[in-house]
Amino acid sequence: MRAFLKDLSLNGKLALTAFALGFIALFAGTPYRGAHAVLNSKELSLTMATDADHVGVKTLADWIIQGKSDFRVVDVRNEAAYADYHLPSAENIPVAALGESSLQHNEKIIVYAEEGARAAQAWMLLKAKGFKGVYMLRGGLEAWKDSVLFPRIPENPTPAQSVEFARIREVSKFFGGTPQALAGDSTTTRTVVGMPRLTMPAAQPAGGAGAPKKKKKEGC
Amino acid sequence: MMAPLFKFGLFGDNVGLVVAFIIGIGFGFFLERAGFGNARKLAAQFYLTDLRVFKVMFTAIVTAMLGVYYLSVLGFMDLSLVYLTPTFLAPQIVGGLILGFGFVIGGYCPGTACVGVATGRIDALVLFAGIFAGIFGFGELYPLVSRFYLSTSMGQLTLPQVTRLPYGLLVFAVVLMALGGFAGAGWVERRMAARKAEA
Repeated sequence: MRAFLKDLSLNGKLALTAFALGFIALFAGTPYRGAHAVLNSKELSLTMATDADHVGVKTLADWIIQGKSDFRVVDVRNEAAYADYHLPSAENIPVAALGESSLQHNEKIIVYAEEGARAAQAWMLLKAKGFKGVYMLRGGLEAWKDSVLFPRIPENPTPAQSVEFARIREVSKFFGGTPQALAGDSTTTRTVVGMPRLTMPAAQPAGGAGAPKKKKKEGC
Repeated sequence: MMAPLFKFGLFGDNVGLVVAFIIGIGFGFFLERAGFGNARKLAAQFYLTDLRVFKVMFTAIVTAMLGVYYLSVLGFMDLSLVYLTPTFLAPQIVGGLILGFGFVIGGYCPGTACVGVATGRIDALVLFAGIFAGIFGFGELYPLVSRFYLSTSMGQLTLPQVTRLPYGLLVFAVVLMALGGFAGAGWVERRMAARKAEA
């Protein structure tokens, strides 16, 4: 072998190198890792049709309270909005940076933005990049505010609604929110109350917070 | 550090020009060293007596292809940001034929004409003037030919897109094509030399 290489001319050696590199290329895969992505339109449309692409805000609130850690919450808004307020345990990855983020393909990822559209863009991008478990927070931050931080009891609540409100009130307090007593006056109250401080518990370990946690069992 | 460096904003237009200057000098130097400053050697390509243009160019293609491919696979380069000349099939076939005729007649292609001018060859200088006359003429005629010039647009094409074959397979195929081409070119050259010796 060595003698063979020694006898080979420079051209022969170069040709051999090119052949070897070309042969390895057969198994080295595609060079387009960065920006190109493939969509499975059928799978996507099915996911959309069955609503399996969303996670409700109350469900997420329950997960956080339960101290679940098998998911990552991703805030795709800009840094300023993130610094202003963000969901507990959420990390900030603006849409433009999603491609280079540390997210793993096998993780459960919940993306959210102010409302739906921006989160849907992020969802689509991640899906196209082959992330399997990507979900959008239904209604985004607005829904989080309405249903978790500042929930209000409907007028003339049925017994079931009253029970649910009692439950969600605990949830709301857990996240530093302010449950509203009555429907209707919430908008005025909310501006007065303001957003909770960001020092709220992030990813409470299971068994930590007592009261609201037990109620979560019936949550979702 | 990720390539393409310019697209990732590692330097601006001014530094880009300096880089282009250095790369251009290097390109010209190696063209000259390959004998491409000589119109006779270049034209010999078309008479099959000296296929060095084919060999040098195909070597450059294979080297660049392997380099770009492995840099991308290893994550040092984002291939999707590399500029590709868009394909306009019909006008580019016609343009290629015109360039080919000019190449046989004048003995230079545009790049090698620059090399010839740099080494002080008068025929290259004449051809160089012809290039600018042609550019000027084309510019003047552009309104007449613009419809054809912009026809059969196919966008930025790559072989894997056209053939729908895996990228790695095409890399290997092009390498095999090149090696086969080099062997074939050597054989043709020897045959032509033998025929010349007979005559």
